[in-house]
Amino acid sequence: MRNTLGRVVFKMKNGKVKKFFKKLYRYRIFLLMLAPAIIYTLIFSYYPMTGIVLAFKKYTYKGGIWGSAWNGFENFKFFFQSGQAWTVTRNTVLYNIMFIIVGTFTQVAVAVFLTEISNSRFRKLTQSMMFLPYFISWVIVGVMAFNIFSSDYGFMNRIITFFGGEKITFYTKPQYWPFIILFFNIWKGVGYGSVMYLAAIMGIDTSVYEAAAIDGANVFQRIFRVTIPMIMPTVIILFLMSVGGIFRGNFDMFYNLVGNNGLLFNYTDVIDTLTMRALISSNNFGMASAIGLFQSVLCFITVLIANKLVSLYDKDYTLF
Amino acid sequence: MRKTMKKAAALVLGASMAVGMIGVIPAAAEESEIDISEHVDLTMYLIGDRTPDFDEVYGKINEILEEKLNCSLSVEFLSWGEHDTKYSLLFSGGEEFDLIFTASSWCHYEQTVALGGFEPLSEEFIQTYAPDIWEVVPEMAWDQARIDGEIYMVPNYQNEFGQDVMAIRGDLMEKYGFEEITNWDELMEFYKACAADGQYASQGGPWYQYFQTYGLSTTGGAPKAGELILYHAQDAEDLEFTYLLDWDGFTDYCKQMKELADLGAWSPDILNSSDERQTGLLTGRTAGMTWNLGTCRTYAKQANAENEDWNVVIVDPVTEMPKKVNSYINNGVAINAMSENKERAMMVLNEFYTNPEVYDLAMLGIEGKHWEAVGDDQYKVIDESNYGVSSNCNWGWNNCTIQRTEYIENRTPLDDQYDAIMEEWNANVKPQHPYDSFNFDSTNVSTQFAAVEAALGSYYDPLVNGLVDDVDASVAALKDALESAGIRDIIEEMEAQAAEHVAATQE
Repeated sequence: MRNTLGRVVFKMKNGKVKKFFKKLYRYRIFLLMLAPAIIYTLIFSYYPMTGIVLAFKKYTYKGGIWGSAWNGFENFKFFFQSGQAWTVTRNTVLYNIMFIIVGTFTQVAVAVFLTEISNSRFRKLTQSMMFLPYFISWVIVGVMAFNIFSSDYGFMNRIITFFGGEKITFYTKPQYWPFIILFFNIWKGVGYGSVMYLAAIMGIDTSVYEAAAIDGANVFQRIFRVTIPMIMPTVIILFLMSVGGIFRGNFDMFYNLVGNNGLLFNYTDVIDTLTMRALISSNNFGMASAIGLFQSVLCFITVLIANKLVSLYDKDYTLF
Repeated sequence: MRKTMKKAAALVLGASMAVGMIGVIPAAAEESEIDISEHVDLTMYLIGDRTPDFDEVYGKINEILEEKLNCSLSVEFLSWGEHDTKYSLLFSGGEEFDLIFTASSWCHYEQTVALGGFEPLSEEFIQTYAPDIWEVVPEMAWDQARIDGEIYMVPNYQNEFGQDVMAIRGDLMEKYGFEEITNWDELMEFYKACAADGQYASQGGPWYQYFQTYGLSTTGGAPKAGELILYHAQDAEDLEFTYLLDWDGFTDYCKQMKELADLGAWSPDILNSSDERQTGLLTGRTAGMTWNLGTCRTYAKQANAENEDWNVVIVDPVTEMPKKVNSYINNGVAINAMSENKERAMMVLNEFYTNPEVYDLAMLGIEGKHWEAVGDDQYKVIDESNYGVSSNCNWGWNNCTIQRTEYIENRTPLDDQYDAIMEEWNANVKPQHPYDSFNFDSTNVSTQFAAVEAALGSYYDPLVNGLVDDVDASVAALKDALESAGIRDIIEEMEAQAAEHVAATQE
């Protein structure tokens, strides 16, 4: 189907309106099948993009998105003037890099382990158990974290004091939080994330494994010489997609785990939480849009760079 | 009331042209002179949650509205948790509604006006469609509601004290040798005694009590819900603002709090705790709670009922200070600028505000089911489990001229204490300060305002609750951060607006 469409586009360039409609008619079934995806993308991805203009406007309810007055780059100023721009941008990127690296590693590992489990009932059970946290809302996770780490009646401190240790006031000690946040992020995402890799592994031709077995490959060789190389394209595609969000902080997670605890902000504040705190009392739509645009532009640049780097490695693995 | 309607009729004739209404019946008609022949459905947004009997109660109200004003009213709720985020979306999303609860600073009044969400209410409009409200609400309340000379909300009318008090366990006070707590030093001693006993005293530092001891008050519309810039509420002559980071008292306070926090006067987790304000007291985790007088009494009673030996009492740690009456715009109702039935909406509000039948329904519920009348001006609760007394966001039309007071059958010492404090406060109302009705409009310095709010994050709450490692260093860091965020521009703008406000009110 991809090729057929490619041909359609190619023929279009040749001009000939008549021919174009002829093709249109001939491939009508294909086009019809493609239509939902195109319509979906237009409505949910391209149409809302027009809202970007808000970033350059002084928004009022009366004026709405189109009628409000322009005010140049005024909406971007507060972010840099707050003195926090560098800290939160750094935090956002570092956290995301950590999530991508550790996340990909654990997800691939889990997928490989799951396929290696031969008892299918046990495998299904394990997979379901790992999948479950994905459905728990961050609000609940936040409450769970509080009950684990609070100093008064937290689970951790109960254990520490039981063994005669000193209580640790986690909520006043920022240095622990990158690990706590990383843990919850991985815990919550690993089951869901590994599904993609599982599917990729299932797609590997079994004859490759049979050939490997005949050649005398052991389990590790099978994993590192066959499975991993075969799912590399999937890994790279998913990597590129997650790089696209590298300047976006997962607001739900950070806000519910950290809340308004300023003591932890140096290590935990991300662009999204800072924006929320700065604007929640003034409801400034223009400024919020400005930050959204700022993030989008940075993400776009990062994706372009990452894609370029991947193409240097192997052109077939790139997104575009 | 009919008299007023007749009076208004003359005005109606003129106004009806402007609003495009026809068919005005001459003053001889008794019931209504405004054309309400077309039936309309109105929507009102309130804050909070729908109680189980809410729809039943509003069904009764609708019967009255149908008959009198030929309209029906449906009510939507924005819950306490989500109104911060959803309030503005109602306007930006073009939601169709007519009336909405609002309040200065805590419920989006200034911000929504700044973004053009509310309909400006001309005096003529109010006199025409809500003549009874116009009669009841004092001039001062309207003045407080004015922003740039225009009124955007109907303020509530009642003397509500803005002063928080504390409900503290009497058994602990006795144990630590306290007869009463009437000032800051006694409060600090009590906190230390609690900490020494391994008992948390409260859910955080008593910050408001501290600055109130110095006669200071929050300024409407200033950053951090008005806390960052204070004014001398007790001295009407003093028009200087007190910017926290220029005030040595702030550093002193933070140091005292650090001492208390280190001693263990409250949990080191408080910044992340999602406990409600009463949770500590009710569960016994803290020795007391801080809230307004009425709420403190409610929870003190509950705590005493659940724990016989606690003997929770109400204390006021700033006893010597005259008390500030909340501005009338601390509760109110506004009309959506996009509403298609502004006139009828205003008439409905007039009913809520001044028709005793509707007023009682909204505040107390159904007579005979939720409450029963005691005389003409009192009520007795029968069962408020499904429709709490005055807790269904009926505050927007609080009207002390027709509001019933509670008749309490089994008085406890707390009720006597409540009455005594109320009496004391009413006899000791602080003189009006020009800034009491001042509301800062941050539109001109919105960049600096947002930057300041963002910069406050890392230091402010930890400082106020004594959780930083080094007070001096944190205060200095916060000061630097706010300077570069542009706090001076905000103060400058604020002083200019305040001067204008003073000039306007003294005319």
